Amino acid sequence: MTSWKKKVAGLTLASLAVASLSACGSNNNSNSEASGSPAASPSSSASASAGAGTDASKPVTLTMLLSGSKAANGPDFELDTLPKLVKEKFPNVTVEVQKLPDDQYYTAVKAKLASGEGPDFFLVFPKLANMGAIEVAKAGYAADLSDLGFWDNFSPSAKNDMSYEGKPYAVSRGMDILGAYYNKDLFAKAGITEIPKDWPSFLAASEKLKAAGVTPIAMGDKDPWVIQFGMYQLAANSVYPSDPEFDTKLQTGETHFSDAGWIKTINQYKELYDKGYVSKNSLGMASAQAMQQFVDGKAAMTFTGTWDLPGVTAKGAVDFERGFFSLPGNDAGQPVYASASTAAGYAINAKSKNLDVAKQVFEYMFDGQSPLFQAWAESNTSIPVYAGLKPNNDMFNDVLADIQSTGHAFYFSNQMWPAGVSDAMQTKFSEIIGGKKTTAEDVAKTMQSKYDELNKN
Amino acid sequence: MTSSVNHANRMKPVNRSKSIFTHLLIIIVAFVNLAPLLIVLSSSLRSPDNMTNPLNWFNEFSFKSFHTAFDRMHFPQALLNSVILTAVSVIFVVILAAMAAYPMARIRSRTSKFLYLFFLSGLVVPGQMVLIPIIQMIKDLGIPMNQYTPILMFITCSLPFSTFLYTGFIRSSVPEEMEEAAHLDGAGLFRRFWQIVFPLILPVTVSVVITQGVWIWNDYFFNMVFITKAAESPIPVAMLGFLGDQQNPAQWNVLFAACILCVIPLVAAFLFLQKYFIGGLTVGSVKG
Amino acid sequence: MNRAVMKKTMYFFVLPALIFYLLFWIFPILKLFQYSVTDYNGYVQSFNYIGFDNFKTLYREEILGVSIKNTLLYTFISVILGNIIALALAFLLNANIRAKGLYRSAFYIPTLFSAIVVGFIWSYIYMPDEGLIASLLNKLGMTGLDTNFLGSYDKALYSIIAVDIWKNIGTSTIIFLAGLQTVPQDLIEAGKIDGAGRWNLVRFIKLPLLATSVTINVTLSIINGLKAFDYSYIMTNGGPGTSTNTLIFAIYKMAFTEQLFGKASALGIISFAIIIVITAVFVLTLNRREVSA
Repeated sequence: MTSWKKKVAGLTLASLAVASLSACGSNNNSNSEASGSPAASPSSSASASAGAGTDASKPVTLTMLLSGSKAANGPDFELDTLPKLVKEKFPNVTVEVQKLPDDQYYTAVKAKLASGEGPDFFLVFPKLANMGAIEVAKAGYAADLSDLGFWDNFSPSAKNDMSYEGKPYAVSRGMDILGAYYNKDLFAKAGITEIPKDWPSFLAASEKLKAAGVTPIAMGDKDPWVIQFGMYQLAANSVYPSDPEFDTKLQTGETHFSDAGWIKTINQYKELYDKGYVSKNSLGMASAQAMQQFVDGKAAMTFTGTWDLPGVTAKGAVDFERGFFSLPGNDAGQPVYASASTAAGYAINAKSKNLDVAKQVFEYMFDGQSPLFQAWAESNTSIPVYAGLKPNNDMFNDVLADIQSTGHAFYFSNQMWPAGVSDAMQTKFSEIIGGKKTTAEDVAKTMQSKYDELNKN
Repeated sequence: MTSSVNHANRMKPVNRSKSIFTHLLIIIVAFVNLAPLLIVLSSSLRSPDNMTNPLNWFNEFSFKSFHTAFDRMHFPQALLNSVILTAVSVIFVVILAAMAAYPMARIRSRTSKFLYLFFLSGLVVPGQMVLIPIIQMIKDLGIPMNQYTPILMFITCSLPFSTFLYTGFIRSSVPEEMEEAAHLDGAGLFRRFWQIVFPLILPVTVSVVITQGVWIWNDYFFNMVFITKAAESPIPVAMLGFLGDQQNPAQWNVLFAACILCVIPLVAAFLFLQKYFIGGLTVGSVKG
Repeated sequence: MNRAVMKKTMYFFVLPALIFYLLFWIFPILKLFQYSVTDYNGYVQSFNYIGFDNFKTLYREEILGVSIKNTLLYTFISVILGNIIALALAFLLNANIRAKGLYRSAFYIPTLFSAIVVGFIWSYIYMPDEGLIASLLNKLGMTGLDTNFLGSYDKALYSIIAVDIWKNIGTSTIIFLAGLQTVPQDLIEAGKIDGAGRWNLVRFIKLPLLATSVTINVTLSIINGLKAFDYSYIMTNGGPGTSTNTLIFAIYKMAFTEQLFGKASALGIISFAIIIVITAVFVLTLNRREVSA
């Protein structure tokens, strides 16, 4: 399926700002210092242990299971580059990598972990998400990584979101932001002069596009998880600003999905469908097809995250300039809140027979200077949270700068929900898209009852 | 195909207009049936960026899409993996199922009847739901997880239908008298089975090889769960990589080329061994 | 029977197969019965026994009814339509014509395809606005028709059933064809001499003799329908909403997405019961008819 779920992550408001600062503020003194000193030590420790341990000469095979699709062109970082570079550094270590589409990944990795046959490296998502760090750590599947030397180079929030009881269990790729990719040419043609800054102006812009004969938004709702892309951005404006602790309070029953915030969120998203702003027949379209509509210039916007940049910038039927903004769910006069979270990252299997070797590979990979680190950084589709690294693309600069200066951002909601609640939301919301008489209250009720069922466990 | 049909051929004067009508009817139905595949074939022969309407048939002949698909799937490697997995599994299925069917066909007792139904009932259980307990079992037995682990599941899941086919065939088409003669000559059970019975059940062996070979070749589920290394993927798992591929949205031509690559080996096998495919299915179903 | 020849020691021949079958199929299935009364999440290795709570929850929830309904509908339509079409094709292909082998192959080829490939191909065919059917209708000037097949609550299930029928029709046709070819020609001739019409020949001679093939085909397609999973998984994700959720798909989603393995096992057991009862009833009925025919 998409590589979406892996990006789903969470940050608290405050730590997010820090993350962004350390991600982009490369001129910051303390940062360059931080990247200078520890960068040297892990690599030396790695080489020391590689050299010192004579047992390191015996052949070791490490397995790695990931979700995602293979790079469309050229070598794939994980499938091709990583095993090669590890081999160069540790001649006795062979890394075997398998990549599966998201859904298949969950099935395979859970089944393997559950039966004690888990891979040495696997992909973990922040906090409570499906395959989330907390769950994986609690179950004893992921190894405690606190003793690794590179943590000072990662933003604290990226570390925290992958931690359980204060210990980190996975190394995040960075930060992901949800937003609306848009076609600047179509916006100009429809007479939209500036990026919508609140909900009424967003609706007005959509109306203009529609009037100009352009499909305002393309969504591939046949892959129901894309419903989350718009929904969480709206929730970041309609739920969390008034109650940042909403999801924590859900656990104790203090808040409910049927509260005003979520009803408003669902109704806002519903409005886009009711008014015909989302491509007709979206339920019959896969997400890749929706993306194709966007790159072919047939639709003016599509909601997805930073990770989809390669797909969004793929060459389509027409050439046009792309842009990115946060879907403004805010009322007029209120600030826009973005939806941003820590991205997924690698974890080491706690029961790995070669735990030490696996850790050495990590030290090498995140030492800030090795060829493996360079390759990792270059292939990264998330916004980096590693000291000294800049985003690989400047399309996100505006949104990022806004988050940094105001701190207005909230995590992806499903981050704090048991896996399954978001599916319930998608399934029920699909009925609205399908033209049934389902109301926002019905969707909220379904979410709440699934939450209650799953929260027990 | 049977002699009685040929017999009829000679006896009945062929009614021309009726025959033309039948041909036409069949061709139309067959065309509708195969139209999707023709479209797929024609699209796969275009370069990846030629996104003209697929209904404009065969307006370009380029192997670029095939090239891309070939590379992305690591086709030769995947093909080899598929061949190994399928061949090894099928060999074991034939040996195990034929042996198991032998007593079930020969002995008339409650035990025998029970075993027969016991095996057959496994057919109704879908593998998706037993996955976790199966892996736990594999782990408990200390069996390593690698490229060859799915073979265990292919063998197991093929047993119900294969024993069913074999039992039916041995009962109906391998006379006990032949074995009695061998028995009098002093042949033991083992020799009797392998030297007398096994050669006689060749038709149903063909049937087992074909029916089970096709599903094993096409299975993605067990492979996807067990395989630990991309290079060990058989063709269907390599195909999975195209599922919802965000990096190149809707590159239909490449995807279709991959589909064609994926089906070519089996279709080629079918065209060359058509007689056996049809015969195999027939033996299994009519005599069983 | 000669007891000395067909000895009990023969049972040793069953052993290797039986070991495989017990270890990798039966024991894991029995495990499901255990899990069905626990809150095991399929993941963390500790769980509690919670009695029949899983069954009770299932009973209360919409998903059980929906997935049973979808599965039965799927089975019913694919069995009836699939077999009728296959039978008609078999009669057609049994006609006394040239190039029969070629035609037969044309119908058989799709059965060789992997479900993934079939899913990809048909996703394209069903694509709204730009898919095969949509562009064909456009070309014929029939615009304004609803071409949203997989995205429509009313059409999605039927659309994937059609795919299933398309894929499996070749096998059924070949089996029917084989059955038809076992009909002794002299019996037909005798019928003709007795003045039986075309329809009567079919009704009283061909169909009864086809009983074995009917049993096989119907049984196989019933099992295939009740176990339906692939196209919901590959083509629709069970959607839109729950409209293509079959029993097996619902189990899969419960086990691996919601991490409710105990509840999924309970649903699995309900599904076993349904599949076994329906299959047994049909097999017994068909067998009885076959004998009496």
